[in-house]
Amino acid sequence: MSTAFHTTDAAGPAHGGAGSAIFAQDLSKSYRMYDKPIHRLYDLILPGKSRGRDFWAVRNVYLDIARGSTVGIIGENGAGKSSLLKLLTGITQPTTGSVQVRGRVASLLELGAGFHPEFSGRDNIRLNCSVLGMSDAEITERFPKIVEFSELGDFIDRPVKTYSSGMYVRLGFSVAASVDPDILIIDEALSVGDEHFRGKCINRLNDFRDAGKTIIFVSHDMGAVKSMCQWVVLMDKGEILEQGTAEKVSDEYLKRAKARGNERMSAINRGSSAYPRWGSGEIEVTEIEMLDGEGKPAHAFTTGEGFCVRLRWKAHMDTKEPVFGLGLYRSDGTYVNGSNHHWRDKPIALRDVRAGESGEVEMSADALQLLQGQYYLTTFVYDHSKAAPTAIDHREHAHTFEVIDPRHLQHGMLFLNSRWTVRRRSGDDVRTEESLS
Amino acid sequence: MIALARSLKRNRRLLGDFVVRDLRARYVGSSMGFFWSVVYPFLNLCIYMFVFSMVLKVRFADSVAPHQVALWMLCGITVWAAFGETLSRSTNTLVENQNLIQKVVFPSEILPTFLCISSLINMCIGLPIVIIGVLVFQAFPDLLGPPEVMPVLTNASGPNDMPPLSLGWSLLALPVLFLAQALFTLGLGYFFAALNLFLRDVYHLMGVGVTVWMFATPIFYPPQMVIDKGYGWMLAWNPMHWLISAYRQILIFGAWPDWAMVASFGAVGLVLLFLGSKFFLWQKPQFPDLL
Repeated sequence: MSTAFHTTDAAGPAHGGAGSAIFAQDLSKSYRMYDKPIHRLYDLILPGKSRGRDFWAVRNVYLDIARGSTVGIIGENGAGKSSLLKLLTGITQPTTGSVQVRGRVASLLELGAGFHPEFSGRDNIRLNCSVLGMSDAEITERFPKIVEFSELGDFIDRPVKTYSSGMYVRLGFSVAASVDPDILIIDEALSVGDEHFRGKCINRLNDFRDAGKTIIFVSHDMGAVKSMCQWVVLMDKGEILEQGTAEKVSDEYLKRAKARGNERMSAINRGSSAYPRWGSGEIEVTEIEMLDGEGKPAHAFTTGEGFCVRLRWKAHMDTKEPVFGLGLYRSDGTYVNGSNHHWRDKPIALRDVRAGESGEVEMSADALQLLQGQYYLTTFVYDHSKAAPTAIDHREHAHTFEVIDPRHLQHGMLFLNSRWTVRRRSGDDVRTEESLS
Repeated sequence: MIALARSLKRNRRLLGDFVVRDLRARYVGSSMGFFWSVVYPFLNLCIYMFVFSMVLKVRFADSVAPHQVALWMLCGITVWAAFGETLSRSTNTLVENQNLIQKVVFPSEILPTFLCISSLINMCIGLPIVIIGVLVFQAFPDLLGPPEVMPVLTNASGPNDMPPLSLGWSLLALPVLFLAQALFTLGLGYFFAALNLFLRDVYHLMGVGVTVWMFATPIFYPPQMVIDKGYGWMLAWNPMHWLISAYRQILIFGAWPDWAMVASFGAVGLVLLFLGSKFFLWQKPQFPDLL
């Protein structure tokens, strides 16, 4: 959290006229990296060529943020979001270019920065407020509100070191929220705390917005950004890839996220599996492939799109009654779904497979009903000729894939094709409205 | 240096809060609380008295009472503690507060200053012990036994007796010393605080450096010992020796300090603060990147 005043004169520059809260032009930030720390010192005292390399965290950024707008900045980890925020806040100085900020900035880059563990919540509120640049009168006036907002109860008089992390964050946010800035910059600070407190924070943000304040919100979660911001800035490798309405940018973001997911997942799947594989080995699953709705190999899928899992197999010995199956798990190990081609209303019976035979088995669905997350497959080949099936080739955690849900309409693990009905009665008048998923 | 002063003035409230917090942090969570300001130097004194006076039998004067030596040491220890503590804490203070520097628009120049003020206040709590000691032993000189008469050594430079304990109007000069000490300490503090970001080893070197410097300064032994051995130049070039002698003149012997020495100390302090703060403020925009 911080406050800063970098105001320009009322006339302002040609661009970013009176309506803009933040105007950044040609903004770049480079960090000099050194192989050895001592080289930095040499550079300081010795003349001559620099011994370091430049790393550009932010490059050629142009931003014109209108007063009263809510802007989201998204990008993968390391895209330069936080570096950009620090530049906008004035914590770090740009290497090239300039930032003009009109109004008082409060940034929630970190909640409770500078809390002292030995002191009580009450003492820390005072100090934190004064770090944030509040005057004595302001602190005295806002103090009760801060205490009330934090909902810490008796803990307010206990040392901060006894707080749970949730309480710590609550106290930090309560102080930060009490600053009355013109521009509020938030770096994913809201993704903490319990549901109840998150709700309060979001209310607080809505109040800010309704009061016509400018909010800059940074996240790598497209869903959160979309629900909050009209204007979205997409960053990658320090540069702005695209900025525009949430709808427009989210498509681009999704495309990139899928491409990246594909890359990451295929790297995971290429690596040799550290997970167990067992069975008698008459039949071997040689390859596992996933196809997207258009039949192209993929590792990242969108919720609702068609998909297909294809297993290639090879028989090394005669087998009487092999059955192929698939288990689908979420990355935390939750068993989501399991099925095989035998236990079905209309089973496929596979009998007397001879050594040397090979083929494919496919399991497909028209719509992938999983919500965003990482999932994995376990493949089974079991011998069903016996009363209790025995393993022929069981591959635990054989294939990993990712699901991206751009719409964020439902939460949890599963997309339900549900229907909502709302009925209103006033007197005899009944109004019914229905909504499909 | 003017820029520094202006910034400190602008952030004086925050500075005050930090000083209060630091003073309280010293004692919050410890049951003896404020008492430690007094107990700590006293314990130190006992250790050093034991080592230097009894084990090593350091010869302070031809005829000296134990209480004279004790007060003489205590005065040096208290002053050095404030200086050494500020110096080593300042060196690490930017790293310690990186949370603030990296996440908040924070006037980092208040950090060494608040440490210095806090230590000086702490010192001001400790120094009255010396004064009380002087008053007590003035009234009862034989409380700890009579002066011990040392056998006269042939190579000693003439008769030297420690002057008697006394207090006087020279106490009024103390604020001048406080100010000069602050300038000197801050100058070094600012310089090393910024330097430590370039090379973190500075902090560890500082730990050793402060100790070496402490033993190079006549705190536990009389300066005459060093001079007799031909190392007088070490004292002539050690500003902390100038400062501590001035404190002793005032607090133990009730005399006015050697003003030439105080003036040169103040001048060195001013130059150091000028250079130190210049370096600090020059590098300040880089701090968030260096942490």
